[in-house]
Amino acid sequence: MRHAARAGLHALARGVLVAGLIAVQASARTSGELDTGRAFDESQARGPGDVKEGYERADYRTRSRSLLDRRGARKDLIRFALDPPLGLPPVPVPADNPLTRTKIELGRKLFFDRRLSINDTLSCATCHIPEQGFTNNELRTPVGVEGRSVLRNSPTLYNVAYQKHLFLDGREISLENQVWQPMTAHNEMAAPSIGYVIRKLRRMRDYEGMFERAFDGRGPDVLTIGQALASYQRTLLAADSPFDRWYFDGRADAVDESVKRGFALFSGKAQCIVCHRVREDHALFIDHRFHNTGLGYAASVGGNEPDTTRVQLAPGVFADLSRASIDAVTQQRLPNDLGLYRITEDPGDRWKFRTQTLRNVSLTAPYMHNGRFDTLREVIDFYDRGGVPNELLSPLIRPLGLMEWEKQDLEAFLHSLTGGNVADLVADAFAVPIGDLSPEGPNWAHENTLGY
Amino acid sequence: MKAIALCRYLAMAAAMVFCLPAQADETCMSPYIAKIQGQEDYVYVWTLGVEGIGDEQDKLVTIDTRPGSDTYGRVVGSLSVGGRNEAHHSGLSDDRKYLWAGGLDTNKIFVFDIHTDPGKPVLHKVITDFVESTGGLVGPHTFYALPGRMMITALSNNVDHGGRTGMAEYNNNGEYIATHWIPTDADLMGAVKSGKLADGYGYDVRVRADLNIMLTSSFTGWSNYMMDFGTMLQDSAAMQRFGHTMVVWDMHARKPLKVLDVPGTPLEIRCAWDPDHRYCFTSTALTSQIWLIYEDDAGEWQAKAVADIGDPSTIPLPVDISITADDKGLWVDTFMEGKARYFDISDPHAPKQVYEKTIGSQINMVSQSWDGKRVYFSSSLLGNWDKTGDADEQYVKLYHWDGNELKHQWTVDFYKEGLGRSHQMRFGAYALYGKRPAGETRLAAVVQ
Repeated sequence: MRHAARAGLHALARGVLVAGLIAVQASARTSGELDTGRAFDESQARGPGDVKEGYERADYRTRSRSLLDRRGARKDLIRFALDPPLGLPPVPVPADNPLTRTKIELGRKLFFDRRLSINDTLSCATCHIPEQGFTNNELRTPVGVEGRSVLRNSPTLYNVAYQKHLFLDGREISLENQVWQPMTAHNEMAAPSIGYVIRKLRRMRDYEGMFERAFDGRGPDVLTIGQALASYQRTLLAADSPFDRWYFDGRADAVDESVKRGFALFSGKAQCIVCHRVREDHALFIDHRFHNTGLGYAASVGGNEPDTTRVQLAPGVFADLSRASIDAVTQQRLPNDLGLYRITEDPGDRWKFRTQTLRNVSLTAPYMHNGRFDTLREVIDFYDRGGVPNELLSPLIRPLGLMEWEKQDLEAFLHSLTGGNVADLVADAFAVPIGDLSPEGPNWAHENTLGY
Repeated sequence: MKAIALCRYLAMAAAMVFCLPAQADETCMSPYIAKIQGQEDYVYVWTLGVEGIGDEQDKLVTIDTRPGSDTYGRVVGSLSVGGRNEAHHSGLSDDRKYLWAGGLDTNKIFVFDIHTDPGKPVLHKVITDFVESTGGLVGPHTFYALPGRMMITALSNNVDHGGRTGMAEYNNNGEYIATHWIPTDADLMGAVKSGKLADGYGYDVRVRADLNIMLTSSFTGWSNYMMDFGTMLQDSAAMQRFGHTMVVWDMHARKPLKVLDVPGTPLEIRCAWDPDHRYCFTSTALTSQIWLIYEDDAGEWQAKAVADIGDPSTIPLPVDISITADDKGLWVDTFMEGKARYFDISDPHAPKQVYEKTIGSQINMVSQSWDGKRVYFSSSLLGNWDKTGDADEQYVKLYHWDGNELKHQWTVDFYKEGLGRSHQMRFGAYALYGKRPAGETRLAAVVQ
């Protein structure tokens, strides 16, 4: 029943989208594989190449991957938008920015281009690293230009196409708009202005003709840059997970009994499903709403900072560092993160943050808006405790009284949400040349200056 | 065996021809560089720009160190280079005509002409394509002269800004030649993983040409070294991204031979000068230990911790170290304490601390003259790691060392001068180029 409903919707969606696409892309290929190259090791798609599993123990052994092996193969990304992987609904695409291969390719090139930052050091992919779930597994909160601190954990871009509110405080309404904020934020890529980015792109010879081909003769400008980047991000659709195959496709053997029990808890006793929604024919695991779990409150006013912090110095080696020692080397003091309040200034919105998707959650540690938790088990324990009490705590957050085996089943369920096509998306990303400054690129030290 | 013996013979012969007659620079630099045995005329200080201080950009600061000069102990030049590049280390070319200085953030390499007028360096060249040319290395760190070449270690990569990285080799014209990746588990490149670790991280490089050995150490990637220090200490994910290895390389073949476990983040490498002393030292920044990297009786290179530095449980954070020319002493600076310690390393397997002095609220680099009588200290560790408030002292200080005590001579306050954060110090001298300062008739330095 669920599968039939989903198939019907997808057929309808395909009809609409394909008609639009054929109009602009007569030479659509049917094969997803554009350039296979050498065989892609799919294990590379599921975590940092600098493997730190077991690092807390003295017997930790490295399993580091070679950067020279980080090679991918281009994929026909538009096929994911035409026919989203099992478990996802049709992709909403703005009428004024229909998806085309040329736009996706251009957006992909821009996404990995470090030259879009003020000093040629940061791209979108610096904080949204493909093999790290298009987020950053290696930092709780990202680091911007010149090492400037960023307030929030880097969110995954998997399935960002479905978000109605961009950023964890929901301050943007479209991907097309959103892209300009990290590019021009002082503590992210720090481009001094939109005009600076446009001017710089016009002087990068490797972009010659790309915008014009993608946008019917139109060059880089405030709209086309946003539309290209949004087009690429809209194709980062990751589903067809073991859960999807069981729940939407009726394949009983796709998951084990622990996952099934975990989903029963998720949708029953634990009531996670109220915010992380699952529909009859698809699941985004979001509700497009904002909630106060107390985590932001604790960080702002409710936390009693400990006198010492346990710091790891080497595998199996820890030290307790005093608060005074840490304060002595903390140069950057960030404002408290009040969440949605920063946008609405409604005191009732303090410490509310957008519900984050649970799809591919195994790949997107650390967790929560500030990266506070390193593991899914810590997240489950947090909700089991009922979050952090405060006068604005969401009434949906309450102590759950979970047994140990129930927590294990919940965690097993969360691990079943990793998309079956993640390797394709990462392989494609690995195939993109990273944009770095070359002697021909615009720079004050070159013949090709920034043109001022 | 015969091949190895032949290689060793050739390496020693090469060392005899190219190294020993010229010996080396002030105790810690490449043996291929002409050295100043007498009085240095200038100290060049690679200085980080700071928002709100002067012109806010990185610069090469020149301090007059000629005793008796009207400007002795004062800033006589400041050459701004544009941007805050995370100015860090610098190194001299083998002919000592040029000073290469890198930016760990922007990956720019600034090559200064210091021979045309040693008292007034000029910017000769800017290398802007380090990342692209090298295939993705980020964070040019150590600049180490080899004959006609500059070996440049990196700290990170352009893929994940983590610690996996390599070294790049350039010629003296500033042209890229090759990239040498640090071995990882997936690609040991022929090296032996001798312990549990092969993280692929990089930091410093030193050679023992007579032994045909090159050593590299390991630190952390861009995300960490650019991050606010206090924030990073509280980020459990970030704190897992530090290096714990050193690699022994075949210097001539540029091939890694052996990966050594050196847990705690080994930074600067200082090799003994005596040909019979077949060892080098490093210090581990996080675990506060001196480690000996040595060739054992069987001809195998090994690593072992030989001394604690202060109380490791308080994380003193040893940073720069400097070996004396007679291999008997080792200066060790600890950033958090602002202290310089002197270890007697006559027995390299059992160093003993014999002296310590607080230099400032924070301390980083130490550079000593070849005779060990003059010891310079600077203050900045990294732009976002330095201390805050009044403890953020930024200085270069000269002390005289008589073997028992450090005696303060002068201080240049880099904030009062409107300069920034002082980092790497290198020495300059007119006599290196057969020149003398205007108005003087004597050659100030004795040069070999």
